[in-house]
Amino acid sequence: MKRRAILAFMLNRPGVLNKVSMLIRKKMYNVDTLTVCSACKPGISRMTITLKEDDDAKVQQVIRQLEKFTEVVSVKELDTDHSYWREVAVVKMEVPAKHLEGFHGRYNFEVLEQKSADIHILQVAGSTRRIDAFLEEVGQEHIIEIARTGVTALEK
Amino acid sequence: MTGKKLLLRALKDKGVKYVFGYTGGAIMPVFDEMDKLGGFNFVMSRHEQGAAFMSQGLSRASRSNKVPQIGVCMSTSGPGAMNLVTGVADAYMDSVPILAVTGQVATGVIATDAFQESDVVGVMMPISKQTYMPLDASDVESTVHEAIYVATTGRGGPVVLDIPKDVQNQQVPDEYRFDAESYRPALPGFFYHPTPAREPLQQAVDLINRSERPVMFCGHGVINSNAGKLLLQFAEKVNIPIASTMHGLSAIPADHPLHLGMMGMHGTVEANRAIMEADLLISFGMRFDDRVTGKLNEYAQNADVIHVEIDASEINKNVGTTVAINADVYRTLHVLAGDPMLTYKPRRRWLDKIEGYRQVMAEDLRQEIETGVGADGKLLMKAIVSRLSDLTEGKDLIVPDVGQHQMMASRFYNFQTENSWFSSGGAGTMGASLPMAIGVKLARPDERVWSISGDGGFQMNAQELGTIMEQQLDVKILILNNGYLGMVRQWQTLFFDGRYAGTPMQSPDFGLIAKAYGLPYRKVEKLEDVKPALQQAIDHQGAIVLEFICDPGEVILPMIPAGGGFDDMIVKHPGQEPAENAVEEGGQS
Ligand SMILES: Cc1ncc(C[n+]2csc(CCOP(=O)(O)OP(=O)(O)O)c2C)c(N)n1
Ligand SMILES: [Mg+2]
Repeated sequence: MKRRAILAFMLNRPGVLNKVSMLIRKKMYNVDTLTVCSACKPGISRMTITLKEDDDAKVQQVIRQLEKFTEVVSVKELDTDHSYWREVAVVKMEVPAKHLEGFHGRYNFEVLEQKSADIHILQVAGSTRRIDAFLEEVGQEHIIEIARTGVTALEK
Repeated sequence: MTGKKLLLRALKDKGVKYVFGYTGGAIMPVFDEMDKLGGFNFVMSRHEQGAAFMSQGLSRASRSNKVPQIGVCMSTSGPGAMNLVTGVADAYMDSVPILAVTGQVATGVIATDAFQESDVVGVMMPISKQTYMPLDASDVESTVHEAIYVATTGRGGPVVLDIPKDVQNQQVPDEYRFDAESYRPALPGFFYHPTPAREPLQQAVDLINRSERPVMFCGHGVINSNAGKLLLQFAEKVNIPIASTMHGLSAIPADHPLHLGMMGMHGTVEANRAIMEADLLISFGMRFDDRVTGKLNEYAQNADVIHVEIDASEINKNVGTTVAINADVYRTLHVLAGDPMLTYKPRRRWLDKIEGYRQVMAEDLRQEIETGVGADGKLLMKAIVSRLSDLTEGKDLIVPDVGQHQMMASRFYNFQTENSWFSSGGAGTMGASLPMAIGVKLARPDERVWSISGDGGFQMNAQELGTIMEQQLDVKILILNNGYLGMVRQWQTLFFDGRYAGTPMQSPDFGLIAKAYGLPYRKVEKLEDVKPALQQAIDHQGAIVLEFICDPGEVILPMIPAGGGFDDMIVKHPGQEPAENAVEEGGQS
């Protein structure tokens, strides 16, 4: 299924996040990630929702339903050609430092901490696919724990 | 100034005259202040659900008044607020603006499971247009103004205001100022488009001119924007028949030659057949609910759809649209009706065809109404409603409950007065009628109001007879008693091999109940007594209870089974035989 991103700006009022997540449950939208942060304008929050959906009408429905909330200022769909979708993963891995070296340059990652010879905590940033590819290449079997932020997106 | 005073000042500034409610610990300060202040007509319900439906009645019926009013209901925290839930959810489904004000435990104990604490905002959020909990007395007044603005702007809906007790009592600082006149809510994203865009209007006119077999839809939006007369003008100008949703009823005279009556599950043969064969649907202010469309993939397959709707999220939701007009129905009709490019067409073949459909059941129904009784000699609901319609010339205000009698009323009352039908539709809440009729009567005191309930639904809010007694309200109360939860029984007859599980019901002596509330009462068992009894109700000044003993075997036809398509329409009483096309999934009565 196609992955879609929706960007919404909303008043930072109590209960807005609750409303959005309730809408997702009620309408049974197939949501992948949901990230929220403050926008540059004070009092406004910025929310990126990604979902898997092939049907354009369904995505339109999500947008229309979000627009209906009195707190929501604007909503639009972002497509990959005209926007950046990025996320960050923080990964604890059991992997020899040597093995990691080979990925420098090819992937955008940073070693936050080396806890012992084999235990590393890394931070990887990039598109979801890029992070997936990195993890795949390093080897899923090395991963002890992983935290991913979910996607945030910005229009070009 | 305190939070409670500012709440009441804001309500007064917004023209609120009636407050329906029930007191308790967490709302006492407001009630106390209301009493001291004067200027409100307080109507005490006997259950908070009653108060919610009363406020709905006031909002719905005053829509067409010179100055519409918003219904306000008030309750205490916890159980009081929870008792409002059904009425709020019902208002949400039917787009009725009401303001529900609930007391909340003091901010200091919120989230400690304090006595009578419920998460009102959490519970109400998915069933209301907006919820508020002001945490400072200085926010109360602007919140009330915003709340009423949100409730009444665009598509209407309920708004809930949950005020902690300490905020009610809190003093605002001396420098507090608020100017109701100049206040505008700061909601940058909350806008609606009342005016139709030009381009889709032009496309609509083209489609209408080209169409051979068009049907117009009259939905709740026509009532809500007081556009009935305009709709009729437009329909006559282009000679297009009109089918109504249940909520669209009473927007135009029911017996107008272009009117096909109600569409959908219990709609008329002519409305539903016309929709099936139409090449164009022009829909005004409705949302293609499943009771209207039946099986979506079989619905009006050959028709283009023009959808005029104030709520953008309803467009393309259930039915694909050819031309979307996201605007107010009145304003759209105003422009459309005056469009010089529109052409009148005789549409002889189309209208003749529809006339043929009109005749499919007409003779049977005429006979049933004339005979007036079923096989066992008990009264038929349709006969009662149609006699009521004759006696009142279709001019009175009708507040049905939910069930067979509701569908009978929708089909056989000959509505002549715009906005005269007030019914729980989207939620279909039994027990809505009696309290809703109270609000309707207060909104339109000079008109006659009939609350029509089944034996089941009447007992769901029968306690509101106490309110009618206390307020000395002239509401004519009809109980159509068939000894069953009739609508469910009908489904059992048709789809459950006539097994009547949980539907036969023993009722109390309604005469004694009426007497207990000091109301006159008459029981009607014979056809020849129907008209005299109704006349007695008309002549009597004040509330009266009439009980009609009805035939439990009467079914409301036609019927499109839930989840079925228009081709599955049942037009003949199958007796006790299970129907062939029984569709069991996808719906509840
Ligand atoms: C609060 C509520 N509970 C249950 C239902 C399901 N229901 C719909 S119609 C109906 C029967 C109504 O019986 P009655 O009030 O006697 O009216 P009748 O159909 O017999 O005219 C029931 C149980 C409902 N709509 N609302
Ligand atoms: Mg009944």
